Amino acid sequence: MINLVRTERQRYILFKIIGEDVTNLNNKEFLKSIWNSIWSYFGMKEANKIGLWLLELDLEEKFGILRCSHNTKEVMISALSLIKEINGKRIILSPVKTSGTIKTIKNIKNSVIR
Amino acid sequence: MKYFESRLKANFDNIEDIKEKIEFCERLGIKNIILEPTISLNTIPLDIKENLKEVTNINLYYRINLKPNNLTTFKKKIKNYNKFSDILSVETSDKEIQIHAARDSRVDIISFSEHDILKSLTPGVISLIKQNNSFIEFSLAPIMENNKSFQSKNFRNTYRFLQLARKLNVNYIISGNFYDLYDYRHPRAMISICHSLLGIPLLKAKAAFNENVQLLLNRAKQRQDENLIEDGVRLIGGK
Repeated sequence: MINLVRTERQRYILFKIIGEDVTNLNNKEFLKSIWNSIWSYFGMKEANKIGLWLLELDLEEKFGILRCSHNTKEVMISALSLIKEINGKRIILSPVKTSGTIKTIKNIKNSVIR
Repeated sequence: MKYFESRLKANFDNIEDIKEKIEFCERLGIKNIILEPTISLNTIPLDIKENLKEVTNINLYYRINLKPNNLTTFKKKIKNYNKFSDILSVETSDKEIQIHAARDSRVDIISFSEHDILKSLTPGVISLIKQNNSFIEFSLAPIMENNKSFQSKNFRNTYRFLQLARKLNVNYIISGNFYDLYDYRHPRAMISICHSLLGIPLLKAKAAFNENVQLLLNRAKQRQDENLIEDGVRLIGGK
């Protein structure tokens, strides 16, 4: 049977966390600040297209992986880049690489950490 | 791909300050940097260049920024920069100086990085810059402002003048020019900001951080070539 509804393509973004004391932060705080950034710079028009999902957050290695729709990749990278602090702690979320599959992004993550 | 951070200010009196900034750029993954001294220097000393080359794998280039107060000072200062090997930029809100700088082939960039200087950009100056094949510089530093009201004003002004430059088809580069270490961003992240918030098509935004900067570096390099009379005119052979 032909699937008439084409599934939306996804993008996985690997980002580096640069900051002084980030180990005390948690997933919830990260997501809250990412959504805040999306809302304040792009509003509801873009926010409802993003489909943001935080897949992995490794505060020891200072890396994270998130998923968004492929149409909003640039919006997502901008929103990440415009975050300056989380919970009063100065932080940079610097996008490293984007990929279309989780497998590739994990391989890239492993090679970057090494 | 080779993306450039076209303006990184550092204190050339304090080598540790430069090293700290370069190290931070390495953490961000930046591969090419154009360094600018914050102190008044006529040329970048060779020993500093050699010293920094050993410290890092990042490709380092240099620029000098002139901030003349009046036309006489500008004319006096520019005399020191015949056959200058690095990039020379002029940053001023004085329209008279802007016009002279735009006509002068020794000047590579007319910088409109600060938000108060940005407002002084006019189509007339853009036209002169275009005739001279030099570059306009915009910067993303004003949009990292903490105050939301100022930030939105700066976004608006940067958007307006970037679109004006695009419309008039002049060569332009976009730099970070950030003051604080934690404001530094990778050029690829800045490309996304330019595309999604400042309305520049993705390929044009990438060119402002890559191809246009390479053209600028070539322009500075070609100045050293004694056989090159002007753009497109070169002496071949004959003694």
